[in-house]
Amino acid sequence: MDVVRGKQKKVFNDSLGNNLPSLVAAAHELKSPLALVRQLSLTLEGGDISLSDQKKILRQISLTSERALRLTNDLTRSARLADAMFVMEPINPQQLCEDIVYELAPLFSASDKNMRLKSHKHPLLLVANRDLLRRIIMSFSDNALHYTGSDSAVEIQIKAFNSGKMIRLGVRDYGPALSSDMWRSLKGKLSNSNMPINARPQSSGLGLYIASQFASAMNGNIGVIRHRDGATFYVDLQASKQLSLL
Amino acid sequence: MSDIKSILIVEDDKWLAEQYARVLSTAGYKTIVRLNAIDAMHAIDDKLPDAIILDVLLTGSTAFTLLHELQSYSDTGLIPIILCTSLAGDLSINDLGSYGVKQIIDKTTMIPDDLTTALRRILL
Repeated sequence: MDVVRGKQKKVFNDSLGNNLPSLVAAAHELKSPLALVRQLSLTLEGGDISLSDQKKILRQISLTSERALRLTNDLTRSARLADAMFVMEPINPQQLCEDIVYELAPLFSASDKNMRLKSHKHPLLLVANRDLLRRIIMSFSDNALHYTGSDSAVEIQIKAFNSGKMIRLGVRDYGPALSSDMWRSLKGKLSNSNMPINARPQSSGLGLYIASQFASAMNGNIGVIRHRDGATFYVDLQASKQLSLL
Repeated sequence: MSDIKSILIVEDDKWLAEQYARVLSTAGYKTIVRLNAIDAMHAIDDKLPDAIILDVLLTGSTAFTLLHELQSYSDTGLIPIILCTSLAGDLSINDLGSYGVKQIIDKTTMIPDDLTTALRRILL
């Protein structure tokens, strides 16, 4: 029994050692939402606040908790990616992105920001796993929500390239521009990533790291385009040939 | 002349910034919220605050850029600063005292009243 326990402990320790950067990054990423939820809860506990403020604080607590839970769910999914079977299927990205815009509308609205979908003229189909693709776009959107300026819209863009063989889903934010140093660091890490990517100063980049793993599992990849007034984080995936057969 | 002290809050999490402002307003302070270092510098140019509550890891330039900028001018260099950060364990008041930092508060363990207690202490 002790031998088994010893082996289990070694496996656990090895696993912990291999995943330490991700664990540290996860701990860092979860600090901010937990600290916010704690502050808001303490304020509610203290009382002496108006009913409208109470409602607002309760809404912020639930939305912040949901964001933190999305990250932990993605982390769990990422850790089990190698063991799990998942279906690749033709997906209409327009429909998927419309659903995401609808789902995130309350979070964006509570943050005084908007999210919109820039539609593609012609219907497109790509090959992906619906759950993983959804998680990637949600993660990019969470990132964009934080970095885009007040009263700005975050935009999801869908386009085909490489003679229609590839589809790009991008999430455009209008936040502060990435500095040249940060840009070089980000590009280098995106092209050779086995560690969390520091997207911007206060982020450990865990969300991007997980997104890159999800994209890779679907034979796709993620990248970033720098703009003077923000950035576009995107995922490239293969187009489905089903439409061309119609 | 008004005795109400004005406090500049520089915090890129809008809801946390609102929370600080709520606590300080209740305690009788006038608050100005800015979400990044550049906007904070503009606000300071418009009117010198009596104190600054500053997060460290901001969107765009970090707090250290702002601290350097403030120290470049004789008037802004005198503004007392409270760092409110989840990196408190990695920072030392001995190292940052020369940048006008009077206190470092750990965001993850603070209670709302810690802000007003710190302000009362440094604005005596």
